[in-house]
Amino acid sequence: MNISVNSTSGFYLQSFNEMSELRAQLERLQTQVATGERLERSSQDPVAASRLRDIARSQRLEEINSENADRLELDLNIASDEITGITDLLIRARELTIGAGNDTLGQDSLDAIATELEQLGEELFTRANGVSLAGESLFSGDAGGAAYIRDNAGVVSYAGSAEAAFLDVAEGVAIQRGITGPEFLSFDVDGTGVTSDAFALISGLAAVLQGGAADPSAAARDAISGFDSALDSANRGQTILGARLAWLDSVQQNQLERSTSRAEEEAEIGGADLTETITELQQTLTVLEASQTSFARVSSLSLFNVI
Amino acid sequence: MSSVLINIGQSGALAARNALELTAQNIANASNPDYARRTLSQSEVVSTATVALFTSTAFSGVRVDGVRRTDSVLLQNQARTTASDLARANGEIAGLRAAEEAIEQTGLFESVVEFEAALARLQGDPLDPSLRAAALESARVVADTFQLADGSLETVQTQVQTAAQNGADLVNQHSQDLARINAEIIRALPNSSGQAALFDQRDAALADLSSHYGISVQLESNGVANVRLGDASGPELVTGTSAETLNLTTAADGTISFDLGGTAVSPSSGSLAGLASALVAQSDLQTELDALALSTIGIVNTAQANGTAPDGSAGQPLFSGTGAGDISIALTSGAGIATAPAGSPAQSRDVSNLSALRDALQNGGPADQADALLFGLSSRISGQEITQSALQTIATSAQTALQSETGVDLDTEAANLVRFQQAFQASSRIMQVANDIFDSILAIR
Repeated sequence: MNISVNSTSGFYLQSFNEMSELRAQLERLQTQVATGERLERSSQDPVAASRLRDIARSQRLEEINSENADRLELDLNIASDEITGITDLLIRARELTIGAGNDTLGQDSLDAIATELEQLGEELFTRANGVSLAGESLFSGDAGGAAYIRDNAGVVSYAGSAEAAFLDVAEGVAIQRGITGPEFLSFDVDGTGVTSDAFALISGLAAVLQGGAADPSAAARDAISGFDSALDSANRGQTILGARLAWLDSVQQNQLERSTSRAEEEAEIGGADLTETITELQQTLTVLEASQTSFARVSSLSLFNVI
Repeated sequence: MSSVLINIGQSGALAARNALELTAQNIANASNPDYARRTLSQSEVVSTATVALFTSTAFSGVRVDGVRRTDSVLLQNQARTTASDLARANGEIAGLRAAEEAIEQTGLFESVVEFEAALARLQGDPLDPSLRAAALESARVVADTFQLADGSLETVQTQVQTAAQNGADLVNQHSQDLARINAEIIRALPNSSGQAALFDQRDAALADLSSHYGISVQLESNGVANVRLGDASGPELVTGTSAETLNLTTAADGTISFDLGGTAVSPSSGSLAGLASALVAQSDLQTELDALALSTIGIVNTAQANGTAPDGSAGQPLFSGTGAGDISIALTSGAGIATAPAGSPAQSRDVSNLSALRDALQNGGPADQADALLFGLSSRISGQEITQSALQTIATSAQTALQSETGVDLDTEAANLVRFQQAFQASSRIMQVANDIFDSILAIR
């Protein structure tokens, strides 16, 4: 009995298996080159796929955070502009008050000053109810309506909430979305613990100048310190907004860097290295060609050709 | 004397002719995977006669004993067992991959992330109606995706069940074939070409059978195959000329079980084993998916219940349903999303309830759970693929070894062709010589 038989079908079976394995490898590499992705499905590398999902998720959420940060930056800038306007307005009111403190002024002049003060009060009311680009009150905190309302007697009062909500602007970073009206319009009168605000100050002074007091000039001189406190308060508000804007800037910078490193990590985990893949592809091609050639040579070797 | 020589020459020519025919048969079947190489066994014919003390020996040529079929019980067995193991791995991976596709490609994870993103955007401007509508729509996508994943998983389950039913039918068909072949083997003339052909059919039927269900085979001396399911102590599927019927039962949760003529059996190898375990995995997945949907519904609705809608009313459930199959949106409009905490006035821009919802979704919420689900599934597939590739190598080499051992070698057959042709010519020559001898005796005068 013949021991070493080279079964023809055995030879074909083995050659076929070897070549089809190479062929499958080739197709996989080709897909990697075409898509630039190393993974077609999670099961090819479960850990990397899970990591990629995690990265994709934080990437998506950071995108939204970044949108929120942009929006917040805009809102804070608008609020800052409004406060600048209010500061200018308070400075003008203070100038007028100093003028009204002059004993030589007649009632006509005092009336004129009072009228301008009333106008300034109007402007202050408008600016304090300033709205963002989305049409929402800048200084009302969390409340949806106007920040300040005026009753029938003309008294202005704050209608917003005590504090503004925090907004997520980056992973783990939340910034208060604005400042409330009282934070920069109310102040402590001469350290007495009595809280007043710019509205009461201006409207009160206008009333005094229009004959509400025996000596309007003296009353005006007394009011100057009130304006100083109001200006201090407004400046303080401006500083808070400036600090938040600066913080936001650094958060956004940080976000950019993180997004870059995330993209790098994503490419590292899930991307196919083109140089490596193409080299491997070429190598596999060479091996496949060689085995095809040798298969063709060996299979053409038949005794039937020579007998 | 010369007639003996002619007889010897004739028997040699006959044997050479038979061998040539067999060679031709081998060549013709060189690419038939079920065919095992045949050889012709021959024996010398000598007549011995003893008269008194005088012993005479007369040569009478050669006799064809029969057709011998090259067989290797060991290699056949190995090829069957390894093919059975490979079929199991293939079946299981096919089922698991289909489930992976059903869950991964419906984008369950992505839809949950989009929902989170929409809520994050809503935080920026909680009273904006379009952002609210967008958040509600992305919640709807989450619900739809759950339903889609659930439906796809069900479809996949049905497909696997159909494949299993088909496999069980084939097992029955092959075992009945085998019983018939056994009956014919009993009737077949030993060492005939007909018997060899029946053995080929028997081995092919056994190979087909074992690719569906792991079997152990016991061959009787006359070649009749008795088949047991599983190992040598398993229940008998084919005994001589009778075959039992394998039945498949589908449970309510989609898993399958088998019984052989009423006795419960469970396959440990073969494609049916793989499909059965894939169905168990799919049923587990379905349960996990339902739990995931239920937990999403719970998290979101709890947050809603803790909050206040912009109109000042208490938050109403956002999702309704009890699982992945029936999850749907209960809110009619985005204005119902409760972003503010309970007790807030109308039109409040306080987003602390929304933040609480986002925190609940973030830490161990549906995104993490969906990720864990996909990770568990893909890890299992990845592990199976390693096993499968090892089994593939083992099965291929066993198959190649069997083919090498029992297959036809064309080079050998070509050499045999020349050899037997020469033998035929030589035997013819003997007859010629006998004729010449006879003639030369006749020529004496």
